[in-house]
Amino acid sequence: MQNLEVISVNLWQILISLCNLLIIFLILKKFLYAPVKKMLAARQAEIDSDYAAADEARRAAESDRAAYAEKLSAAQAEADEMRKRAVADAEHRSDKILAEAKEKADSMVRAAENEIALERQKATDDIKKEIAEVSTQIAGKLLEREIDENDHRELIDSFIDKIGERS
Amino acid sequence: MEIRSHRFRVVDILLLCGVILPPVLGMVIKILTNSPSGGIEISGARIYFTLDLPFQSLPITEAQVNSWLVVISIFFLCLYLTHGLAVKAVTKRQLLAEWIVKTTENMISGNMGDYFIKVARGAFAPFVAGIMALSAFSSLLSLLGLYAPTSDINVSAGWALLVFILITYYKMKCGLPHYLKSFAEPVAFLTPLNVISEVATPVSMAFRHYGNILSGSVISVLVASALQGLSSMLLGWLPGFLGDIPFLQIGIPAILSLYFDIFGSLLQAFIFAMLTMLYVSGGFAIDDWELLQAKKKQKLQTQQ
Repeated sequence: MQNLEVISVNLWQILISLCNLLIIFLILKKFLYAPVKKMLAARQAEIDSDYAAADEARRAAESDRAAYAEKLSAAQAEADEMRKRAVADAEHRSDKILAEAKEKADSMVRAAENEIALERQKATDDIKKEIAEVSTQIAGKLLEREIDENDHRELIDSFIDKIGERS
Repeated sequence: MEIRSHRFRVVDILLLCGVILPPVLGMVIKILTNSPSGGIEISGARIYFTLDLPFQSLPITEAQVNSWLVVISIFFLCLYLTHGLAVKAVTKRQLLAEWIVKTTENMISGNMGDYFIKVARGAFAPFVAGIMALSAFSSLLSLLGLYAPTSDINVSAGWALLVFILITYYKMKCGLPHYLKSFAEPVAFLTPLNVISEVATPVSMAFRHYGNILSGSVISVLVASALQGLSSMLLGWLPGFLGDIPFLQIGIPAILSLYFDIFGSLLQAFIFAMLTMLYVSGGFAIDDWELLQAKKKQKLQTQQ
């Protein structure tokens, strides 16, 4: 077996080595870079689709939330409206009831007052009559003569009125 | 994690065998063809046989055979790394494969600019990775006691030639006149110097790589033989066969091997790849090229 010299340039060996590098380049490109890049692209696509799905879900959730908030506020407004209406209703009714009651009470008071006034009138009349009778009798007794009630009616009345004014 | 099927495991083992067997085959060939020779000898690769070709006969040597073995090994390594790639299942080998792809692409975009990531359908990253892998694995063969193909000038010269072709291709992308004019810059009388420096680029690349690897093995051989001499001188008085054992050769060459075989190999692979990237991107006048493209576009639009 022979050995080469330490430095021996050979054109064919240079070409072989050049081809070796080319072959290695092609091997790496085809069997390492192509599959790995394909895998990375697939991973990227998966990540992108995941992100898109997440975005979609978030958007849906947000729109749902907005719809719920809208519904909630609508319900609240409705409840407010109802309460307000109920309060107004109740106030109205209570006012009505109060007014009725007051009216009733007033009419009762008025009736009572009328009655009182009538009674009073009647009582005064009775008293007047009685006083007239009594005073006629007293005067008859005093004068020992019959005073015609009808003749002195005017006189007696004025007398009684005077008493009434004083009392 | 899902349980791998038996078929998957069998394929895995076969692929790993494809990675490991080529260097083993190289060792077997080396042992079978080993001719005992006394003393130290520093010579080129062993010639297995010679083919008669025009211009020059082609001796098929250890360098060629070993580099083919490396190519086969790397091929199976690629298959092993990408075996069972999945979008979600993250295995260690998949992480390694992804790391290789991403790191080289980052290197390309960092050292050469973003233009070279997209050009030629992203072929630059595998090319640079190919240079690194071939160079590193070839040099690391010396760890197994095999002849490192990179200590043959022809191997590094072949790579440097391919890189030179690439450099020239990108220099000519702006047109032949632009390429020729670039030699007369900054002043016309520097043209001879520019031509020399242009030719020096591949030559220096080839010699740098080859010289570093070869010098490593030469120094290792010299130190080993020197240690043998020192050992017999200092410990030769030991009785019987003990005096014949070169005790000093134990351990000390390993430290040298750590530097020359591992660190030097990886460093030279990195340097070669780095220089490739820098020379190719440096040779490509991207501003002029973009100007040219814009002009062409304008012309097309005016024609329409």
